[in-house]
Amino acid sequence: MKSKFQNNINELLQEQIISKEVAQNIENYYNNKPNTSTSKLFTVFSVLGSTLIGLGIILILAHNWDHFVKGIKTTLAFLPLVIAQFFVGFSILKKKSKTWKEASGVFLFFTVGSSMALVAQIYNIPGDLSSYLLTWIALCLPLIYLLNSHVLAIVSLVFTTYYACAYGYFYNTSHGTPWLYIVLLAVIIPYYIMLIKQKTSANIVSVLNWFFPLSLTIVLASFVQSNESLGYVMYVCLFGCFYNLGKLPHFNNIQLRRNGYLVLGSLGTVFMLLLSSFEWIWKDVLKDNILVNGQETYVLLVLFITSFGLLFFNYLKKGVRSLNLYQFIFIIFSGIFFTGFYGLNFPVVFINVLILLLGIMAVKIGADKYHFGVLNYGLFIIVILIVCRFFDTNMSFVIRGLLFVSVGVGFFLTNYIMLNKKKLKEVKR
Amino acid sequence: MKTIHIFIIFLLVVVVQLFVPAKMILNQESVIEHGEVFKFKTQPIDPSDPFKGKYINLNYTISNITTTDSLWKRRAPIYVYLETDSLGYAKIQTVSRTILAENNNTYVKASVQWYAKYNNQLNINFPFNRYYMKETKAYDAEIAVRNRQRDSLLDNTYALVYVKQGDAVLTDVLIDDIPIKNYVEKKEE
Repeated sequence: MKSKFQNNINELLQEQIISKEVAQNIENYYNNKPNTSTSKLFTVFSVLGSTLIGLGIILILAHNWDHFVKGIKTTLAFLPLVIAQFFVGFSILKKKSKTWKEASGVFLFFTVGSSMALVAQIYNIPGDLSSYLLTWIALCLPLIYLLNSHVLAIVSLVFTTYYACAYGYFYNTSHGTPWLYIVLLAVIIPYYIMLIKQKTSANIVSVLNWFFPLSLTIVLASFVQSNESLGYVMYVCLFGCFYNLGKLPHFNNIQLRRNGYLVLGSLGTVFMLLLSSFEWIWKDVLKDNILVNGQETYVLLVLFITSFGLLFFNYLKKGVRSLNLYQFIFIIFSGIFFTGFYGLNFPVVFINVLILLLGIMAVKIGADKYHFGVLNYGLFIIVILIVCRFFDTNMSFVIRGLLFVSVGVGFFLTNYIMLNKKKLKEVKR
Repeated sequence: MKTIHIFIIFLLVVVVQLFVPAKMILNQESVIEHGEVFKFKTQPIDPSDPFKGKYINLNYTISNITTTDSLWKRRAPIYVYLETDSLGYAKIQTVSRTILAENNNTYVKASVQWYAKYNNQLNINFPFNRYYMKETKAYDAEIAVRNRQRDSLLDNTYALVYVKQGDAVLTDVLIDDIPIKNYVEKKEE
């Protein structure tokens, strides 16, 4: 990297773009700048090392060394835990570097799990996976704040999701609603908010911007017990919530790849609409009677109110002109769902029109912002809609073929026009 | 927050982290020391746990009982009162939703697996249905028991369980009074 940078300076010097003095100043500046990338890399490798060692210990202990007496096994259960606790205590007391804290914290996380697993193994305690995971996470959550550990926040979030899946989905376990998932999230969220405020553009924030919505998307279905039809609206509202969250001034200004809420919200909304654009969904799946008093209704209400609140906040901050159709889908879909439910025929037609509008909207947003990704995303929505309709309409092959050709031509044309517009804009500058 | 304050809170976390596994051990040891021992006839099969290793799942022959009480709900707690049959194996005396003050028999707290109305069968999920084994032996143990059944040998596989005031600890699984891990080793020789 450095040699490339020096080559560039030499090139600028030879071309007489910068003076010798300026070249020297630039070189001095970069030489004296503290090198943060090396320490970051060291932290990453230390954390990876601790994770592998921790997981390795769990596997070694899971082997079940049946020729060891109970006393030795019990000592082995506590030994890694005490060692890890010593390292964490040492890092806190001696105010060691970030690398020390992250690595020892992750190591302690895994040794807490291995210790409980070995005790359960020695005494043949069955206990289902979810209760084991819950105790494990609860014992380690304070470490996030004590060590200010980003990695522990991620690991805890991943294991919290694992717990909710084990509790809500996995066969042979409790099969209930993982309400405690919300409590665990509530403990992690303040740390996330603190990070957002302090380090908006840090990589850790970007990772969490993706992990939080992903976790919620995975877990939400476990909150659906008997009212499966309402699950559809719950997901549309959740994605509406993500999209509106991603549109908040704080998130809207960051790059798209760092804004997991906006991307997942948009993709999720389109996916749910495409799914419900099939007639059979309304005839076969969404035909159960809705229990107004079920837990799904309350979860749905919370999601709807949150999404609406975020939409309203966006309106207050940036005015009505800044809002787009994606932000209103959860309201429109909820309306269609509850009217379509009572035997009306228009939902399918309406949803198809809505998807088409969303596609056009994305093309427009892409064109306005000169963003090829968004533009092609819009075109892609339209293509998928056409492909989907081929499954349930009796259209002749010629017409289908012509439609595909015209959409293909549309792809080329829009991209070509946009490229020309962009070039023209750059020339004007 | 000052370093010393963070460290003090960390020490509290350390105590709790050590207390949880230690309490698990103390509870189990108390049952083994003061509990009554029962032999539960069983049949093992071998699944595995991602964190705790390989184990054999124990299906107890007494886990099915006939009852006309059809109000049992899945996962509901059930108190199983035990006694010993003429051959020395555990037998269910009665089951109840609550602790029976007048019953002096030893009881274990279990949960309802399912209730089948058509034949009035209640299936009980005992809280000691896992026996952790060395990964190389768990499957062999299942095969050993299956082979014995195929050869019509006397069904002599049982779990040794200590029971005290509702809690139970499984300490060993035996075939013909030989611990299953030694039985498998012997078979391999």
